Amino acid sequence: MGSVTFDVLTTAAILFVVSTGLMVILGVMKLLNFAHGAFLTTGGYVAYMAGLAGVSPWLSIPLASILGFLFGLVVERIVIRPLYQRPLDAILATWGLGIVISQVFALTFGRGVQFAPSPLSGTVDFLGVEYSAYRLAIAAIAILLAFALIGLLSLTRFGLNARAVIVNEDLARGLGIDSTKVRSLTFGLGAGLACAAGALITPLLSVDPNMGLPWLVNSFMLVLVSGVSFPSLLFASLVLGGTQVLVSTYVSPILGGMTIVVLAALILRLNPKGFSRA
Amino acid sequence: MPDTNITVSRTHRAALIGCLIGLCVVAVAPFTLDIYLTNILIRTLLLAAVVMTVDILWGYTGILTFGQSAFFGIGAYACGLVFTHYGFGPGWAFAALAIALGVAAIVAAATGWLAFFHGSSPIYASIITLALPIVLTQVIYSGGSFTGSSSGLSGFPTYFWDLKVWFWIAGGFLVLTTTAGWLLVRSDFGRVLIAIRENEDRSAYLGIPVSRIKTILMVFAAMVASAAGFAYAAFSNVVAPELVGFQLGTELLIWTALGGRATLLGPVFAAIGIDTMSSWLSGAMPFLWKLLTGVGFVVVIVALPRGLAPLLTALWHRFWPKSNSMFTEVKITQAPASRMLRASFGDTPPLRIEHLSRRYGSLKVLSDVNLVGHGTELLGVIGPNGAGKTTLMRCISDGKERTDGSIHINNVEIGRCSPQRVVGLGVGRSFQNTSLFDTLTVAECLKLARYRLDGAKLFDRVDTVALPQPALDILKATGLDQKLSNETRNLSHGMKRGLELAMVLATEPSVLLLDEPTAGLTRPERMAIGEVLTRLTRDFGLCIILIEHDLDFVRAISNRVVVLHQGAILMEGTVEEVVASDLVKAVYAGHHEEEVA
Repeated sequence: MGSVTFDVLTTAAILFVVSTGLMVILGVMKLLNFAHGAFLTTGGYVAYMAGLAGVSPWLSIPLASILGFLFGLVVERIVIRPLYQRPLDAILATWGLGIVISQVFALTFGRGVQFAPSPLSGTVDFLGVEYSAYRLAIAAIAILLAFALIGLLSLTRFGLNARAVIVNEDLARGLGIDSTKVRSLTFGLGAGLACAAGALITPLLSVDPNMGLPWLVNSFMLVLVSGVSFPSLLFASLVLGGTQVLVSTYVSPILGGMTIVVLAALILRLNPKGFSRA
Repeated sequence: MPDTNITVSRTHRAALIGCLIGLCVVAVAPFTLDIYLTNILIRTLLLAAVVMTVDILWGYTGILTFGQSAFFGIGAYACGLVFTHYGFGPGWAFAALAIALGVAAIVAAATGWLAFFHGSSPIYASIITLALPIVLTQVIYSGGSFTGSSSGLSGFPTYFWDLKVWFWIAGGFLVLTTTAGWLLVRSDFGRVLIAIRENEDRSAYLGIPVSRIKTILMVFAAMVASAAGFAYAAFSNVVAPELVGFQLGTELLIWTALGGRATLLGPVFAAIGIDTMSSWLSGAMPFLWKLLTGVGFVVVIVALPRGLAPLLTALWHRFWPKSNSMFTEVKITQAPASRMLRASFGDTPPLRIEHLSRRYGSLKVLSDVNLVGHGTELLGVIGPNGAGKTTLMRCISDGKERTDGSIHINNVEIGRCSPQRVVGLGVGRSFQNTSLFDTLTVAECLKLARYRLDGAKLFDRVDTVALPQPALDILKATGLDQKLSNETRNLSHGMKRGLELAMVLATEPSVLLLDEPTAGLTRPERMAIGEVLTRLTRDFGLCIILIEHDLDFVRAISNRVVVLHQGAILMEGTVEEVVASDLVKAVYAGHHEEEVA
């Protein structure tokens, strides 16, 4: 029972970490980034490469976020910016980008599965339950990340500009906010978060060219259900991720695999606003 | 008259000729191709038919679907499962095909129910279509030995006909379904699909049942894809989860985009070309080939949003200048306006609003509004910006908008009806910002407005559109009757407003909601519209609710004025009473607080 509770909490944390990059981009740019899965994969390969090079696994996470940020800036400039006026086309372009990225990895590293070293191994005794140390660390990181992102949005100049663009882009531009720059930084930030998340979760799993895909759809669902708000994303991760763990544990892992998708689709059908307070 | 008959049948003749040429090519082709290529092409031709349905869904109707592969897979699995586990023979084959079509239709209807409802975003619908193949793949994995799990089913009994026969089946299927699709998108119904793509909201407010049309379209597209999948499984003797998966679903989208969306033949040829090529090349350089198509896809989306087909047609038109046969001359006839007169019959007022309120969170936009609109009455609604005038219109025309209260149209409570149902009850609404269908012609827009009453031909175009007298009057007053075959984006602002009003009137409403119908118009245009509005109330018994800032215009035409202020009715009376009122002057001049104090 105790370990199931921890499963619920850490799964929610992982889902939250994986979805934040997507939400940042959707919120500010109104763009559903289908390359999100490929960005996660990129982070996974950064962790793998760092492991090969003998870099400390803890360092691979910030490294992935920096590389992701720079990569995001480039992608935004080349692919996303020409498509601002065509949101559905932007979806397709990011999807195509995802294919390109995963094919590049397949050409470089092969189709096979690779493993990255884990920063923390073994289990710890926490509140009377033996539990994976690294999963607990991820939960702690998720909470820190949530605070950091909320702080970034509500305390910094960039956050203020970004919120202005979220609410009313035309007006924000009229007030002298460089919305192109905000969009560009946002895409970089989203890509950086996604890569960091990929590097973070890879030690738990493994990395292959299509590693990000299963996460992609679940993150979409979570972000659509929660609207643009980090607290409600946390809540959605907890509810949907928790249900997923319970279904996988007590019913069947395969049904568990589609819990989030089915549940989120039904929630959105019955209440198009999902969990958001708008 | 005979002239129009010829142009109408020209579409059909082109379809017939194209169909026959296609069938001849299919009949001859297997004699000239080697076995390897024939093998590849059978699969490709079946997939091309699926791509054709993707183009109708996405290119024409604007439903970005990632899940069409799911239906292809359903057809394939219906074949594989029945032949493996139950039996084989002509009877079983027909039963399996029936199951394939039936299951695909049911799944498509359920997907449509989930994805399409008034207010659902296109992105949400896309995600649902993306989830569908993923969920189905999981279902197949969980099927154990019944579905063959990840390795699929193979070696089941099937008809081991000659390759030529399978080629003819696949090719014939493609040619026939594509011909039907070609006629569909060129029909009046095809224009409805384009209207949904261009401006879904406006379509709903013309009474077009957008969600139902999308769902039905999805069901038929699913059945075509399922039949193709069935044939593929029967031919290849193998079914695997990849046939259901969304990798295939996105490949279908890529081919559609590369070929040129909304060109129908472009995606079909792109599918044939690319899939054949990848079968050749993926053996030699598997990852590189996928990488190249991925790069090609991104480049086409960014740089050539209309795909490759328009390049080819542009080249074609350089040598064979475009003939204008596509635009059939449409004649306007008069429709009996009996429906419009119903408002003036009986004692019940056409519009009754009781205790209406609308809150956005803690913000109260409308509170406890009570209003009765009588037939033959032109009711002006005035008030400063932000008073809730447009919200009032929105609440009357969409049952889901209001927070509380009740609204009766012709004595029917609107409940939580979607806009298209409210239109059916007799409400017509024009918008503050002119919203039209840019690529459609004036006549096509008018036909669209008549869809709810007259329907639309599925595989044909009619060359007349019957309009009620008031709509004809508007067309004449604004000179639009001379511009029926112009695309609406080329009209002047005044004409656009006139067309919008004519479209709303063509739906034969008994309650007409007009949100600043004369904004930005010249004085003569205003006069013309004012006259038409007066006639509408006098001769056709309409109840018109008019939002207007121009008090002179309101004074000239309305019987009664309602002043809205901060979401509540401040005053009601004749124009003179209202204009003379100190309270109203104070509100407009912004001295409200002093006045109260």
